[in-house]
Amino acid sequence: MPPLLEISDLRAGYGQIEVLKGISLEVQPGEIVALIGANGAGKTSTLMSISGCLRPRSGSIRLAGQEIHARAPHEIVRLGICHSPEGRKIFPRLTVLENLQMGAFARSDKAGIQQDLDHAFEMFPILKQRTTQAGGTLSGGEQQMLAVARAMMGRPKLLLLDEPSLGLAPLIVLKIFEVVKKLNDEGISILLVEQAARMALKLAHRGYVMETGEITMHGPAANLLADARVQAAYLGG
Amino acid sequence: MNKRQPAPRSLTAQLDRLPQWPLYLGILLLYPLLVYPEKVLFQWTEISVGMQLTYIFIYAILALGLNVVVGYTGILHLGIAAFFGIGAYITGILTVPAYPFGIGFVGSLICASLGAALAGLLLGAPTLRLRGDYVAIVTLGFGEVTRFSLRNLEEITAGMRGLNPIPPPTLPAFLATPLSWLGIQNDWALDYRLFYYLALGLLLVVILLLRNLERSRLGRAWVAIREDELAATCMGINAARVKLSAFALGCGLAGMAGCLYATALTSTAGPDAFDFSRSVIMLCCVILGGLGSLRGTLLGVLLLIGFDNVAAPALDGFLQRANINPDDNPWLTFSNWKLMCFGLALILMMRFRPEGLLPSRQVEAELHSEAQLHREGASI
Repeated sequence: MPPLLEISDLRAGYGQIEVLKGISLEVQPGEIVALIGANGAGKTSTLMSISGCLRPRSGSIRLAGQEIHARAPHEIVRLGICHSPEGRKIFPRLTVLENLQMGAFARSDKAGIQQDLDHAFEMFPILKQRTTQAGGTLSGGEQQMLAVARAMMGRPKLLLLDEPSLGLAPLIVLKIFEVVKKLNDEGISILLVEQAARMALKLAHRGYVMETGEITMHGPAANLLADARVQAAYLGG
Repeated sequence: MNKRQPAPRSLTAQLDRLPQWPLYLGILLLYPLLVYPEKVLFQWTEISVGMQLTYIFIYAILALGLNVVVGYTGILHLGIAAFFGIGAYITGILTVPAYPFGIGFVGSLICASLGAALAGLLLGAPTLRLRGDYVAIVTLGFGEVTRFSLRNLEEITAGMRGLNPIPPPTLPAFLATPLSWLGIQNDWALDYRLFYYLALGLLLVVILLLRNLERSRLGRAWVAIREDELAATCMGINAARVKLSAFALGCGLAGMAGCLYATALTSTAGPDAFDFSRSVIMLCCVILGGLGSLRGTLLGVLLLIGFDNVAAPALDGFLQRANINPDDNPWLTFSNWKLMCFGLALILMMRFRPEGLLPSRQVEAELHSEAQLHREGASI
């Protein structure tokens, strides 16, 4: 069986600047994979390339063996990759409910959407209390929950999460990571980009370390957590 | 709840308490039939209010088209007048006797709408990939290019004179008799009411169309793109195509309005009728009324165009007849202060009610502080 996601020798950039200098990584079905690294290492660009928002210059991205790197973002969503972008990017003037409905934009099975909506409210009870409130009026933590729930509404095979911990209190981050774990238990594979390296590696099965556009290390998350170089650079140890 | 309500909120409450649309529609439908109010208003103002209402309906279609682009989808379009003009000139070319086509009103209405929409597609396809301000510059430039083309292609557009005479529509025979019972003559030049009802009818069709679109998948996609284009893309929306659809629809409605305008005037007017200030005034109508809000846009058109075409000239007439301004002193001519009033109104609005008079719920939410919205919680 081919990996769910397989990236090989991917290069991408903006204008003159090459941000991804030939990276390769893979996500197996059912895995949580953490991608950690400093600011500007290219983590977000990696996710943007996978979801089609950034066109790769060379290399390939395959979803379950099928090449997707030449496809448009709206097609990639329909193939089963949902991307929760950095900075949450909820729709500030739409209500919580409308935000969640937008997450299911690519789907047309009404019964399934309703089911997933109930499921999302079950996972994030706070959102249920806020259904008619504009997304922009939620607190940061609630917005992040909304962003994750919205991505879930697309019923993805692979969920791309970009810095869900950004700007949130540690307790809230724990809560969000708990939900990520639950989603994974339900069979969704997750590629998690994080600066909060310790928490991400504790949650993940495997991890990749990125530095200035290249993957410098990868392996089981526990090994990375124990690695002296990773500890020195990312875990403050 | 705090006893002292914030001012904008209470104004909304007041506006919400206004009677609803059946009343307005009833007034508009009955106004020309009653004859008497038109007569009285004409004695007061020396302006045919009914005729001016017809133009307000036409501008309302134009503004609603612009609202699709700017209000729903959030693309700043500064050249809507060009598409208005394209519609007018297509109508001119297809109907005036100087050309061999002579296809009449209905055909030219369809061609003008489709032609302007096509022009919108051609302009939008390569440029809507640009972000934010660049699209505004492109549309602004296109507006000016169009105006100069209309002026300089004299063999086709008759230059500054414009194409005329545009023949009036033909009234279907089965309508002529019932209308004559209502006292409406089958003469478009003598009786403004035929065109009044035609424009009102088309405006209603456009409103119904947009109301349905607003709640459709496409309408939600437009709004999502306005809110956050990247997030909308991540939701599986084909941003390029959805933006293009809004642009083409908006330009098509502008073309339709242009056809009505030219037919009502029986001339395409000169190219300067479609200049940048026309685009800006339409944009002001949409912003004053409330971006992304149908009823807001309609109110904006009524206030601004009504002020421009009815209130200001009427006031001039008063001043003259009341002997306050017998020898046309420019300082005492109200029309000369018109743009200043206009500007003042916009400044005041931006200060006190930036979301417009009758905003859509979403835009209102954006422009008020989070704390205020938290307080009002469920009422949004």
